[in-house]
Amino acid sequence: MRYGFAIDTKRCIGCHTCSTACRIENNLPNGVWWNRALTEGGPEMDTPAGEFPDVTMTYLTVACQHCDNPACVKVCPVGATYKDPETGVVRQDYDKCIGCRMCMAACPYTGVRSFNWEEPQHTIDFAVGDADAAPHQKHVVEKCTMCWHRLAKGEEPMCVKTCLARARFWGDLDDPESEVATLVRERSYKQLLADEGTKPSVYYLV
Amino acid sequence: MTELNNVAVADDDFNPAAAPKAREAAGAKAAAWGGKGLTAAIAVSGAIAVIGIALWVVQLSGGMVQTAMRNLDSWGLYITNFMFFVGLSAGGLIISSVPKAFGIKGFGGISKVAVWSSIAATVCAIAFVVVDLGQPLRLWELFAYSNLGSPLMWDIIVLGTYLILSCVYLWATLQNERGKVSNTALRVISVVALVCAVLVHSVTAWIFGLQQGREMWHTALLAPWFVSSALVCGTALVAIVVVALRKAGYLELDQAYVVKLAKLLGAFVVVDLYFFGCDLLTEAFPAAGGMAVVDMLVSGPLAPFFWVEIIGCVACAVVCFTPSLRRPGLIVAASALAIAAIFCKRVQLLVGGFQLPTLDLPGPVTSMTVTGWEAGVAGAYEGMVYWPTMIEWGITLGVIGLGAFILLAGLKFLPLRPQD
Repeated sequence: MRYGFAIDTKRCIGCHTCSTACRIENNLPNGVWWNRALTEGGPEMDTPAGEFPDVTMTYLTVACQHCDNPACVKVCPVGATYKDPETGVVRQDYDKCIGCRMCMAACPYTGVRSFNWEEPQHTIDFAVGDADAAPHQKHVVEKCTMCWHRLAKGEEPMCVKTCLARARFWGDLDDPESEVATLVRERSYKQLLADEGTKPSVYYLV
Repeated sequence: MTELNNVAVADDDFNPAAAPKAREAAGAKAAAWGGKGLTAAIAVSGAIAVIGIALWVVQLSGGMVQTAMRNLDSWGLYITNFMFFVGLSAGGLIISSVPKAFGIKGFGGISKVAVWSSIAATVCAIAFVVVDLGQPLRLWELFAYSNLGSPLMWDIIVLGTYLILSCVYLWATLQNERGKVSNTALRVISVVALVCAVLVHSVTAWIFGLQQGREMWHTALLAPWFVSSALVCGTALVAIVVVALRKAGYLELDQAYVVKLAKLLGAFVVVDLYFFGCDLLTEAFPAAGGMAVVDMLVSGPLAPFFWVEIIGCVACAVVCFTPSLRRPGLIVAASALAIAAIFCKRVQLLVGGFQLPTLDLPGPVTSMTVTGWEAGVAGAYEGMVYWPTMIEWGITLGVIGLGAFILLAGLKFLPLRPQD
């Protein structure tokens, strides 16, 4: 079994709902984004490339790529970041992390991993999201868990559930009958930094 | 305790005809060198170390948000200094163990002082990793849950072994002088220590060089390059320490030995520059992705560090290779330049690794993303993506204070003076 995502960049409208839903579901501290809608376009977020009227703008929603050959897992000195053998999900054990940030240096996907540089702060003074989401800790590295707490209940990740444009698909890439496997088989796709050899489990349908 | 007494121990290193009685006297005095000046220096460096520890507590309680490190520049001054001090620790041990290991003429009895400087530098290197950790109280996990595949784990193992071996080596040298450890045993220990010294630099290089995602780091040259850089700044440190100690009357050393050190330093500097040339050419030649690294160094945000390194190394080599320039003052200046140059190299490596993001599409930027986030991602990368804050400078000074404390206390209380 290898859980992964297929993200249809032709359907994605860049609404940032998946990013925001992720923040709420996992009660992410201020300033922390596990999933970000990056703009393929101009120099700033939500700006187009080119000159009017020949402009283009597409989005890549980027979170942990849950690589099949993860660079982060190899370098963690204590095994706090590890690949779940059953599902292929790359996980992070907050209680074990010593905060050396070796994984952040190793991960080629800039900005995917996030360190809690301070005691986690929240704008609202009560926790939001799922009660089963792991609580945040100061001075440890965290990242997308693929909503592990939801997977445990047989539910899909929150970013997939909330996608307004129905651009996000999730499932078992090893199961040829699954929606994701079918999409990856039938559509053309690209993967982020494929040359790095990390074999990401996220496929961007183009 | 007075400096005047020390005049009596002149030449104990080189004069084979020195009476055994004089040697005994020297041994007795060796343990009690240094006047009020040294005591004061020990107290000051100790105080700096204590202030450093206090600042570290502030960093841990108030959060590492007080440093300039953020998600996109997740290592900073501490890891720069870690690389730098691992390098500094090389020279002493290598200078002292190479002659013994290969049975060639050494550097005139400075070996014990040299090894002690190695030990002080190694302690600093370990301390820099510890102050960089978010959860230092979980350090025990390194031994309980060791992931032996991690280059960081290799480094912890090799650095620990290196520190212990340096101490064993120093102890064996002292015992050897008292006739309690045989020359063969000492030679075996020195070979093992030498291998470990080369390993410690290679492994430190691999922490960076094995990361395929960082253009600046990912090269097979990095490990041999770390060894050569370590030899440069290590030799330079030993040269400064022995010239200073000679001036202070701690030991007598013929100028010929200092010149020999300078020649060695010159050779190491040239090798280091050669490696840099090879690396720059390999990055630049395809005129593709690697060009970004070359631009960043030669004319980009890291240019000051690049040019200080190049000019410093060239100037150092000129002094070391021109016989008329090999005067003590100039050799010390050249050594200081070489050390500064290697520090600049470390800054280039550390910051350069983060200065070139592999995925640089614009997206949400927050105060946790990068220092200078208010200017957006493009603005944050305009200058150097990272520049340390006051607390990082303070803690760094504290760690260096700890190293100075160890070095000076050793000079005062340990029998490190030449007497063989």
